Amino acid sequence: MSDEKEHLHPPAAMVDEVSEFEVLEIAVRELAIEKGLFTQEDHNQWTDYMHTLGPAPAARLVAKAWLDPEYKKLCVEDGVKASLDVNIDWVNTMPTKFGTPSDYCNLRVMEDTPTLKHVVVCTLCSCYPRPILGQSPEWYRTPNYRRRIVRWPRQVLAEFGLQLPEDVEIRVVDSNQKSRMIVLPVRPEGTEGWTEDQLAEIVTRDCLIGVAVPKPGVTNNAKRPVRKAINPYKH
Amino acid sequence: MSKPHYDREHHVKKATGIGDPQCFKGEAGEARFKVGDRVRIKDLPDLFYTRTQTYTRGAEATVHEVVYESPPAEDESWDNTENVEWFYSLVFSMKELWPNYPDAFSSDTVETEIPEHYLEAC
Repeated sequence: MSDEKEHLHPPAAMVDEVSEFEVLEIAVRELAIEKGLFTQEDHNQWTDYMHTLGPAPAARLVAKAWLDPEYKKLCVEDGVKASLDVNIDWVNTMPTKFGTPSDYCNLRVMEDTPTLKHVVVCTLCSCYPRPILGQSPEWYRTPNYRRRIVRWPRQVLAEFGLQLPEDVEIRVVDSNQKSRMIVLPVRPEGTEGWTEDQLAEIVTRDCLIGVAVPKPGVTNNAKRPVRKAINPYKH
Repeated sequence: MSKPHYDREHHVKKATGIGDPQCFKGEAGEARFKVGDRVRIKDLPDLFYTRTQTYTRGAEATVHEVVYESPPAEDESWDNTENVEWFYSLVFSMKELWPNYPDAFSSDTVETEIPEHYLEAC
């Protein structure tokens, strides 16, 4: 009772506005539940699962691979098996127990060398290794990134602050079928004698997509510029 | 007229606990190409759905890895899982895809996966 008196103002709205796509999602979801394709409980289970995901396991995988050459070999040969060591079971941790049409169970770990740099994109949509890397960043899904990275990779990487010399081959990996990819970057200089925890800290999400390289002291993704819309939608 | 019956769960039954594409393992027979082979991407007509990018069509590439077996997305999008085939990870030279790509960076490449029925030896 006393709690209610202290909160006389109405509770703040969860979101300021709902986009048309969110309205569409809610409508389709409610229809599907009504039709019995899945239940509200199934939906809750999926949303809870999606919210537990993030890039930490992939960073851990890279750190382990840097320290253990045998494990690195396993990562490159069988990414799904190697993921088990960082507590990601591609088959069984997903609520469906078989993957989904957007998260199939085939992880490939693309190993960089001093003369080869991988960068991942999905030109056709926005395929992303979500079980091990979480939700994709906004820019990864934009047509701008997806169109330009396969055509002008060096220019796009330069926009991310990554300029590579001519003798480094850039390999753009277009994730178009059932494989999902993460990049295993080269271990940077100045990390000799570091522990697994220390190493995992510098492997950021951007390093795992391939638009950045790990550097001692850098533990955050670079901030992306936000450009205002030229013709903003008036609500 | 009786209502047609569709088995909407055949994929779930097959893949649960095994994973997709792992559940199609062993169904494609022998792979036609091996690592290092040169192949060309056929420009096949596609009705409604494809995952073979326009920019790869007609281009030549090198087989980098024979990755897994699966029905092609073009079939699977219509729930047809009969024609399981090998998928290949191919490496294209940027110069091959974009003829005016700068010569200074001619070693740059694109890697992507294409199902077998799109490939011909060259």
